[in-house]
Amino acid sequence: MKRRAFLAGAATGAAGLAAGVTPAWSFEQMGGRRTLVFSGGQPVPVLDPHVKYDWSTRMMQQSIYDALTKYEGNPPHVVPWLAEKWETGPDGLTWTFHLAGNAKFHNGDPLDAEAVRFSYERALKLNKGVAWMLKDHLKPEAIKVVDPRTIQFTLTVPYPAFITFTPLWYIVNPKQVVANTVNDDYGQKFLTDGDAGSGPFKIQRWDGQAVMALEAVPDYWKGWPMGAASRPGGVIYRVIREPAPRKAALERREVDMVTEMTPDDYDELAKMPGIVVPAFTGMTPFTIQMNTQNGPTADLNFRKAMAYAFDYHALLQIENNAAKLMDSPFPNAMTGHVAIPDMPQRNLDLAKQYLAKTKTPQGGIEITYLYVAGLEVERRIGLAVLDSLQPLNIKVNVAAQPWPTLVARGAKPETTPEMVAVYVTPVSTDPDVIAAQYASTAEGQFWHMHHLNDTDLDGMIVKARLETDQAQRMKIYAAIQHRIVALQPCIFGMLEDRKWAMRNYVKGFQFCPVRLTGEADLYTLYAATA
Amino acid sequence: MLTYLLRRLGLLGIMLAGLVLITFLVSNVAPSDPAALAAGPDATRDMIATIRHEYGLDQPLPQQFLRYAVDLARLRLGRSIQTGDEVSDDLARYFPATLELVLLSMAISIVVGVPLGMLAAVRRNRPFDHIVRVLAVSGVALPAFWAALLLQLLFCVRLGWLPTSGQLSVATPPPPPVTGMVMVDALLLGQGAVFVEAWQYAMLPAFVLALPSLAAIVRVNRAEMIEVLASDYVTAARAHGISTVRVIGWLALKNAMLPTLAMIGLRFGWTLGSTVLVETVFDWPGIGLYAVNSAIASDFKPVMGVTLLIGSTFMLTNLLIDLAYGWLDPRTRTA
Repeated sequence: MKRRAFLAGAATGAAGLAAGVTPAWSFEQMGGRRTLVFSGGQPVPVLDPHVKYDWSTRMMQQSIYDALTKYEGNPPHVVPWLAEKWETGPDGLTWTFHLAGNAKFHNGDPLDAEAVRFSYERALKLNKGVAWMLKDHLKPEAIKVVDPRTIQFTLTVPYPAFITFTPLWYIVNPKQVVANTVNDDYGQKFLTDGDAGSGPFKIQRWDGQAVMALEAVPDYWKGWPMGAASRPGGVIYRVIREPAPRKAALERREVDMVTEMTPDDYDELAKMPGIVVPAFTGMTPFTIQMNTQNGPTADLNFRKAMAYAFDYHALLQIENNAAKLMDSPFPNAMTGHVAIPDMPQRNLDLAKQYLAKTKTPQGGIEITYLYVAGLEVERRIGLAVLDSLQPLNIKVNVAAQPWPTLVARGAKPETTPEMVAVYVTPVSTDPDVIAAQYASTAEGQFWHMHHLNDTDLDGMIVKARLETDQAQRMKIYAAIQHRIVALQPCIFGMLEDRKWAMRNYVKGFQFCPVRLTGEADLYTLYAATA
Repeated sequence: MLTYLLRRLGLLGIMLAGLVLITFLVSNVAPSDPAALAAGPDATRDMIATIRHEYGLDQPLPQQFLRYAVDLARLRLGRSIQTGDEVSDDLARYFPATLELVLLSMAISIVVGVPLGMLAAVRRNRPFDHIVRVLAVSGVALPAFWAALLLQLLFCVRLGWLPTSGQLSVATPPPPPVTGMVMVDALLLGQGAVFVEAWQYAMLPAFVLALPSLAAIVRVNRAEMIEVLASDYVTAARAHGISTVRVIGWLALKNAMLPTLAMIGLRFGWTLGSTVLVETVFDWPGIGLYAVNSAIASDFKPVMGVTLLIGSTFMLTNLLIDLAYGWLDPRTRTA
């Protein structure tokens, strides 16, 4: 330590302390350009695109890495990205992708077909994160580099959903991964917070618990949608765990955009000057899953009674009308969605008729509604369940548990309570991702806390998964939706509106419902000049 | 004294072993599956099994404990199942931020608490004393989480005087680590502006964290001062014409400080434990926030690491206090 430096620091510090506090905050800058600050409550412990994904992780992965394709639009479509075009063989087994010639990694290495092969092989061999999507249908040795700009995948069975997963399989730079492999870890330690990508941003500063600053790549191979002049200097993801300080940070312009707020917070923010709250119908079904294997809800008539007794409009009230009631187990934006005409609505007479066919025709029992501790909306829905079932003389124990405990409890029918509140966001637009949640093979997953086990339904799901005739496939999915509603494993609730609150100078926001929870495409965002 | 010291060290060893066993058992009886959570919601059974095997979670519990104990003997706390990082590395990274916050809060508690306790004793049963006592009780009674949110609302949102959360502005890179404590490093490296910014960010969380200790110090110091002020030697000093300021500020305060110092030592451990809530509200990147993030993901090795660190700090502090008491009062050595 230099004495002079210490004294200088102490003097400036003392002056600053005497001056007190700073009331105003200005735009963050990178490279002389405005930088947007986005805030959510979820950290990013692992950036490696082949090891983990959730909404915040995927948002950062998509900013740093590119994939063969990308999801865009509402309803979402798979659009070309690293791959300019692709074709499928007549047998439905072979998929050939033709790469853009100008893509390059952040370190200047060209992104070629070998990088694609290496990345898919790595994801499959690690058997983590995204591997589940393709590992049953694609073997590493079936990925072939035809030439530097052409890659070919040969699947073990025709699998139409293949293309819908490609936006989530990011391409890493093989040279960097190999150079940073330690103890045969396939570069996992390096990619936990390292950058081997080709995306629009590169890492400037990384603390996955608190602040992740990304710097824009000026000559990004795909260009910038807002034009070179408006291109941001970078983007910062700041983790603010609690909603109240996150809201305060937006009000004070410490951050420019927030997500994961309560409905009331969004409404308050929308009324504030300089803040806008765009809302879109989401693709995340909220359901109250009922244990189909144990307890009173094992009886279909009891489940039907619950479904007809529930006050669905309470959901809209809780959400301040920022939601849409489900008319099918599939979300509206999902390919193959059909509205089910006999979807239960509140009908107490019908509910009582169904209850009369159960072992407890007069009610007089208590059931448990379990929700994730800390989720206020789920708690209030629990109170709505309690209120709805009073006319049936059924008491409801509204209980909260932390997410890990809730998931563990719901893993087996014997420990799963009668009702569990669950949100599930599909990771792709293929209907199989929703249909598979009702297959018996999903036992043990958090979205299968209903423990439904129906042989007919299982057969339909497998048949639809492998059907290559699109029209025929959609017919099967329509039948699947009818069958699921008939079995009533859940009270089918709502599709919450997806919202973000942002300062009004934030431009370029593009909604795509297949993105997870609070995830936004940071690539298109920029700050408008005054 | 040597026998006393050895006996206390032996007890410390037993307590540490007990702490290790309890934290291990509590973490492993929790009804959740860390491997499943780390693998993600869509993971298949074999993917979960891959992670379970990688982290040795497929081994019998006694074997896992043995492995953990051996690692501990080598000062290794295992690996985080979320990140794959060594927990000891993570603690080394996050602990300085917590230590900085705790030291700052202790400084606030002492600088404010001791004079307040002293003045309340001098003005016993007068309005000032009543106000201080109400504040002291409130300081102990207020839940840190609630106080943090309220003060954040007042000072950050309504008044706009302070930043809401974090340790530095997102655009300000932290100074190169010397001690790892941002304010100290900023001073050492002559980065006055960074120091001021860090102080603004630290002020509110440090104050919230200081509240219970401040209240405790006020109460203890007040009680001791009242007792000392009523003692014969203080009356004698006054009779000899020594000024009131000298009697209170030097003679009485000096004698009343011994229990207060013991209280300060004890509060250090408590304050370290309280950082979990305060760091969560203020997103202070210390071991408290690290523990919360890990607990939410059922990532138990980091939680156990933080528990052991806080627990052993608490035990060591108590040991030092016990030794100090034993040295000052030989009768306690046989107690």
